[in-house]
Amino acid sequence: MRHSLRYALHRLRRGWRSGDLLVLALALAVAVAAASAVNLFTERVRAALDHQSGDAIGADLIYSAHDPLPASLAQAVNASGAHGVGVVQFASVVTRGAAMSLASIKAVSDGYPARGSVTLSSEPFGPTRSASGIPARGEAWVDLKLWTALNLKPGAEVQAGNAQFRVSAIIVRAPDSGGYMDLAPGFMINADDLPASKLLTPGARAQYSLMVAATAAQLHTLGALPVPAGVRRTTPQDARPEIRAALQRAGQFIDIAVLAATLLAAVAIALSAHQYGLRMRDEVALLKCLGARERFIGQALLLTLLLLGALAGAAGAALGWLAQEAIARLLAGLMQIALPPASLLPLAQAWGLGLLMLLGFAVPPVLAARRDAPIRVFQRDAGGSGFGRGIGLAAALAAAALLWLQTGEPRLAAEVFAGAMATLATLALLSWLLVLALAPLRKRVGASWRFGLGNLSRRRGATVAQAVALGLALHALLMITVVRQDLLSSWQKHLPADTPNQFLVNIQGDQRDRLEKFFGAHGYPPLELVPMARGRLVALNGKPVSGDSFDDPETQRWINRGFNLSSADTLRDDNTLTGGSWWGNSGDGKPWLSADTYAVEHLHLKLGDRVTIDFAGQPIELTLRSIRKIRWDSFRPNFFLLTPPGTLDAVPRQWIASFYLPPANRTLLRELIAAFPNVTPLDIGAAMAQVRGIIDRIVRAIECVFLFALAAGLTVLLATIQGTRRDRVRETALLRALGASSSMIVRGLLAEYAVLGLLSGTVAALTAQVVTWVLADTVFHIPYGPRPLIWLTGALTGCAIVTLLGWLSLRPVLKTPPTVALQTG
Amino acid sequence: MHKQINSGSTPLTILDGIDVQIRSGETVAIIGTSGSGKTTLLSLLAGLDLPSAGEIALDGQRLTGMSEDQRAALRAGRVGFVFQSFQLLGGFTALENVMLPVELAGRGDAEARAREALAQVGLSARLQHYPYQLSGGEQQRVAIARAFAGEPKILFADEPTGNLDTATGARVIELLFGLNRSRRATLVLVTHDAALAARCERVLTLRDGQLHAA
Repeated sequence: MRHSLRYALHRLRRGWRSGDLLVLALALAVAVAAASAVNLFTERVRAALDHQSGDAIGADLIYSAHDPLPASLAQAVNASGAHGVGVVQFASVVTRGAAMSLASIKAVSDGYPARGSVTLSSEPFGPTRSASGIPARGEAWVDLKLWTALNLKPGAEVQAGNAQFRVSAIIVRAPDSGGYMDLAPGFMINADDLPASKLLTPGARAQYSLMVAATAAQLHTLGALPVPAGVRRTTPQDARPEIRAALQRAGQFIDIAVLAATLLAAVAIALSAHQYGLRMRDEVALLKCLGARERFIGQALLLTLLLLGALAGAAGAALGWLAQEAIARLLAGLMQIALPPASLLPLAQAWGLGLLMLLGFAVPPVLAARRDAPIRVFQRDAGGSGFGRGIGLAAALAAAALLWLQTGEPRLAAEVFAGAMATLATLALLSWLLVLALAPLRKRVGASWRFGLGNLSRRRGATVAQAVALGLALHALLMITVVRQDLLSSWQKHLPADTPNQFLVNIQGDQRDRLEKFFGAHGYPPLELVPMARGRLVALNGKPVSGDSFDDPETQRWINRGFNLSSADTLRDDNTLTGGSWWGNSGDGKPWLSADTYAVEHLHLKLGDRVTIDFAGQPIELTLRSIRKIRWDSFRPNFFLLTPPGTLDAVPRQWIASFYLPPANRTLLRELIAAFPNVTPLDIGAAMAQVRGIIDRIVRAIECVFLFALAAGLTVLLATIQGTRRDRVRETALLRALGASSSMIVRGLLAEYAVLGLLSGTVAALTAQVVTWVLADTVFHIPYGPRPLIWLTGALTGCAIVTLLGWLSLRPVLKTPPTVALQTG
Repeated sequence: MHKQINSGSTPLTILDGIDVQIRSGETVAIIGTSGSGKTTLLSLLAGLDLPSAGEIALDGQRLTGMSEDQRAALRAGRVGFVFQSFQLLGGFTALENVMLPVELAGRGDAEARAREALAQVGLSARLQHYPYQLSGGEQQRVAIARAFAGEPKILFADEPTGNLDTATGARVIELLFGLNRSRRATLVLVTHDAALAARCERVLTLRDGQLHAA
């Protein structure tokens, strides 16, 4: 062992000096750097975004229950160092003279909201300001719905319970409002006024919440605590489906970038290790002649690689740490979010990943050299170990393990693996066909080109292998640069500038025509009016049920709140059918139901189940015909439950409309309220701006992550080109001895690389298109069509990058003196 | 001429005052012990390298002051090589290897000439074989075909039998001398095989960097 270690150290020094191990070390360092930077940065961005989206629920964490929360919970929150704010919410009647309205009363304590802020204004649609605290004792803030319902004026006195409140502001937006479907008018008071008002009698239905503002570490501590019975724990990820959808999609983009970087680095490692293994064969044969045993050689080679792996891995981890820190600083202003400090765990993970890659992709081809027969000393072509089946198997296993580790899902890993293999096979087939097509061209071009083209078509196998490796790198580069732009911009276009930013609720059936005329007269496009009926779940498959029939508190609350149902005959593009069939025009008047996956999961439904819903005393039994998945970040009115048109005609209904209101036209709302006093406008512009802001920030972060995949792709290119270096030295010397001029050798090389780049770029454009299309369709659910320009971009980019890299890395080789032809054996 | 190389801090003299003239059509063998500078002398004569001092003329043209490319242009179509280690390009077939110098000389009939040259060395049946599919003797015959395909005036051979067994070496030498006779080319041969050297019209011995007529 000591001897093999000494030999390994010696070999490492020599390999480093001669440059033999340089590309392998570089590939490994890039892999670890990419993985650690991506892991570190992603972890920090994810943590920051989680924190940022705390704005969405007004807290980083909310504990809530129908009974007063146990005092131990508040103590635990305080003990963790986090800050808790108590809120009580319940329904009660608010009156002003003869006018009265049911309102959702929220009694808040100092420090509310825990995250974000409440936006207020003094009059309807007037200038807005951020609240600096909570309502003063004896004062109330009301939302526009209550203001309209009670016909309030600034400073008006209202009665709630036994207490009088002076209305001091209109709530334009509160971070913990229940999204745009929260329909109860809001009334916010100081919690200290609650006892005197006698609003909250024993046994009244109320929701007691503790809104918590916490750091990541405090959240971690609190997350480990058991949640008392009857208490529900909500994090920003559990709330607001549109934010959740945006975050989830961002995670998918980042995962794809990490996968691309890892796989490319693996290819670079495999390529350079294979080349190193081939170069080691003469030395191994010689060592065996001198009496070295296979075991000694195996140990020495393994130790060489492990030492190299440790060094390159450490360098890569350091580089990754620096890179993510640099990106974080670069983006700090741009992203407008404070990133939490990086932890060391991702670094260790990346280092482990590097080790796995080394064992899977580098060790087998290098160790294969130890089996070489000593006779090779006399006959170089004898006793070849070649590319064994074991090496391919090890690489495939390592690739599968890598994918599994990175995706965390065996099925997804299998799919990506199959996709990668199919891409490789396609690249190989297309390259082979193109190389065949090159052969006739050789006779029609000048000497340098003929030599360059000849080099390609003469070494068909090597050319195809090179084109596949280059094609793979270019494929990734294309996906990363051009296609990424396409994918991300189609995602951003999800929310075009004219996406409806106002909802109108509570529209009565007989108001529809007048309302449409009102908007027509003001020059707006036709309104999309959606019917909505409210009902209560009373039976499933003929068996009576209520909220208490379910254990899950969220399902209980949903059932107790009542269901909103709508009708439609077309399936909009923000709804994806995942089960059953859509009724189209054939469903008119039929007692059929279509449910979102949320409803299916929470009510444990399956196709064909009968759901009985009571609409103000009229029970209707509906049969589940289809299951949909709603894309909530489309910001259009969507419903968990839909029936065909005509089915709910006999039950009481109201209508909902959405439209885009240019910010300058806000006075329209005043006219609207005057003409339709019962109609309530809901401004969802702020929520949309929030999602848009998150998307924009994530897109920037993803672009940074993709840079590492880009670096990995370039390493593959370098490894491919460097792999031919020894042959080039020999060839150049020979060509010079035989009378070739330097310019001819350069032209030949440039021609060869230009054609190789053109070829692999074209092939890469094709596969990148197909892979992107598959990703867009199956993973991101984003519309994506063929992009003809990418062919040209792919071919030209491939040509430019490969020629440039080839020239840069082989320029020293072109200076090889012809005497080398007499020296090399 | 003189040739020195810098080995560490002290310059090492490899060739020390060489003065030799080889006439057109002559066959000359250069012999000497290992490290006596035979291959260095050959590479200087062929214009692959330049002397540290002195002058060399190849085919009547002075090499001193010529750039690497000018010397290459001088070699193209005029000079042929046979190397000890064959130096065939691995990715090229026998035919393509032989076509190479003809193509480099800018002649259009490369393939016909290459076929003819391979026929002369008895490898017509091996045109499409790659070097790894050929035996050592066959590889050196391809190398000889390549050397003659461009119809060079001067042929340089560096230990042409060094990597071959005796019998194969003898056949290769027959071929080399036979072809050389029929083409009337000048042959400069480096070897330490005395029997092979004896077949040349003149034998030069290198000792301590100086030439001695045998």
